[in-house]
Amino acid sequence: MIARELALAVWVSLKTSGLAAVIASALAVPAALFLAGHEFRGKKLILAVNQTWMAAPTVVIGLLFYSLLSRNGPLGGLGLLYTQAAMTVGQIFLILPLITGFSYTALRQVDRRARLTALTLGATGRQAGWIVLREARFPLLVAVLAGFARAVSEVGIAMMLGGNIRYATRNITTSIALETAKGEFRNGVVLGVLLLVITLGINYLVQAGLRGRDGGA
Amino acid sequence: MGGLVYRLERVAYGYPPAKGPFSLELEALTIAEGGVLALVGPNGAGKTTLLMLLAFLLRPARGRLDFLGRDPWAATDGAAEARRGAVLLTHHPYLFKGTIADNVAFGLRLRKLPEAEIRARAAAALSLVELDSLGGRSVSGLSAGQVQRVAIARALAIRPRVLLLDEPTANLDAALGLRMEAVLREAGRDWGATVVFSTHNFSQASRLADSILYLSEGRRVEFSHENCFSGTAASDGRTSWIEPAPGLRIEFPGETRGHVTCIIDPSAIRLVAAGEKGGTPPSGPNVFRGRVSRMETTDAATALVRISGDLVFRATVPVGELEAGGISLSREVLLTFEPRSVKVVGERPAEVG
Repeated sequence: MIARELALAVWVSLKTSGLAAVIASALAVPAALFLAGHEFRGKKLILAVNQTWMAAPTVVIGLLFYSLLSRNGPLGGLGLLYTQAAMTVGQIFLILPLITGFSYTALRQVDRRARLTALTLGATGRQAGWIVLREARFPLLVAVLAGFARAVSEVGIAMMLGGNIRYATRNITTSIALETAKGEFRNGVVLGVLLLVITLGINYLVQAGLRGRDGGA
Repeated sequence: MGGLVYRLERVAYGYPPAKGPFSLELEALTIAEGGVLALVGPNGAGKTTLLMLLAFLLRPARGRLDFLGRDPWAATDGAAEARRGAVLLTHHPYLFKGTIADNVAFGLRLRKLPEAEIRARAAAALSLVELDSLGGRSVSGLSAGQVQRVAIARALAIRPRVLLLDEPTANLDAALGLRMEAVLREAGRDWGATVVFSTHNFSQASRLADSILYLSEGRRVEFSHENCFSGTAASDGRTSWIEPAPGLRIEFPGETRGHVTCIIDPSAIRLVAAGEKGGTPPSGPNVFRGRVSRMETTDAATALVRISGDLVFRATVPVGELEAGGISLSREVLLTFEPRSVKVVGERPAEVG
């Protein structure tokens, strides 16, 4: 495997999974904030569906989106199949319940007094919501990082929706699958280690950055 | 004192909020600007609920609560606007993650004050609670007393029009508690804050408040109910007294005349089983014979003693003392309290100003 191909695979992994994590977080965290702060009929059902969705195999999600995005599918006209955009969409769908579930748990653990204190000190409802998020920033970060890790390490969606096209949609995990299929186990292991190192590095940098901003509090 | 800050009319709140029976029901209450009102009553009396309503953190299930002449709940964002003027310090305050200084500056930052003013006000507030050297310290690991002091500083730094305090000195030792009382008094003087605070401590209520609202089971204790008696005071120059019922003379020190209301601290009342062999029956003023009509066990045991007719005294007595004294339900007892433990308030104790 040449260096350029490797670099591009790493870039595709980071770009599609990073984008999926950002977009999924933007949807999942507000949803979790709403669920954590409100009691309503049907909430238990939503949580149960979310929990079930978390366990959905990547190939099932890949197959679902494949049938939607393929030329004969309802969204075939968009021409997204075998593109990085399709991989990102599939990964968003994969990690959305994971980030929602983890964020919900994180926000439920924030002391109820945090919101009341913010309100009585003059915060608006929206500001109080932000403050609750801030109080849960470390567990929320874990939720987002867990989502990213799940997206960057999955292979089913990337393979089915990206098509493992060289220099276009091939990422680290589809490269590992390819190298293993070719019998190049050594390359597969090296790519696997590289994936772990990248994930570890991102985890470390984000957490260190947040701690630095907090002054170690 | 200026105009009215609060006017409550038939305000009620329950848990859950929309359903009765209500845990707090007040027919009428007004609080004037610059006054100090103490909310006194046993656990579950509705003190905290009332403070939460006054802080616009709870919405009345019924009735009208006006703040500075307007009903904040009637307007969009009206409650959020009103909250900027009335800050509540809760019984177990919450500190946000970060430093002590961050916490004290929190409300000031929300109000978008200039950074220099924020620093100056935060420093002054920390100095008031004697934490000036700890501003840069993280809030994790603070003792309960320190947390309370930081929360007091955070509320004082805002200089709100109304300071609402739920047992503000509960986590502080006696000396620091007195110091904080002085700080709260200064707050009223310095920027004319209206202060409403809850306490179990009658002495503290007497020291700090212009008026006392005595609550029991979510209702304002009306005259001639549980330790709260009204009447026309007579005086011999040294001692004054009222007679809320024939033969029931409640004495208190000083020369007071006119219509007054007396409140007696439940913890100041002693009970002695009547006819107990070997014991010396209490003598002197404020000794009454009655029967224990109800007993409750909360933090300390509470005995309700019916004297005659509708007159009821509430005495808070440690469980051990009740047992040792042979006091039980329906037992005839002698009830006594010192004249100096009688707090004399105006004709309508719940209305400040």
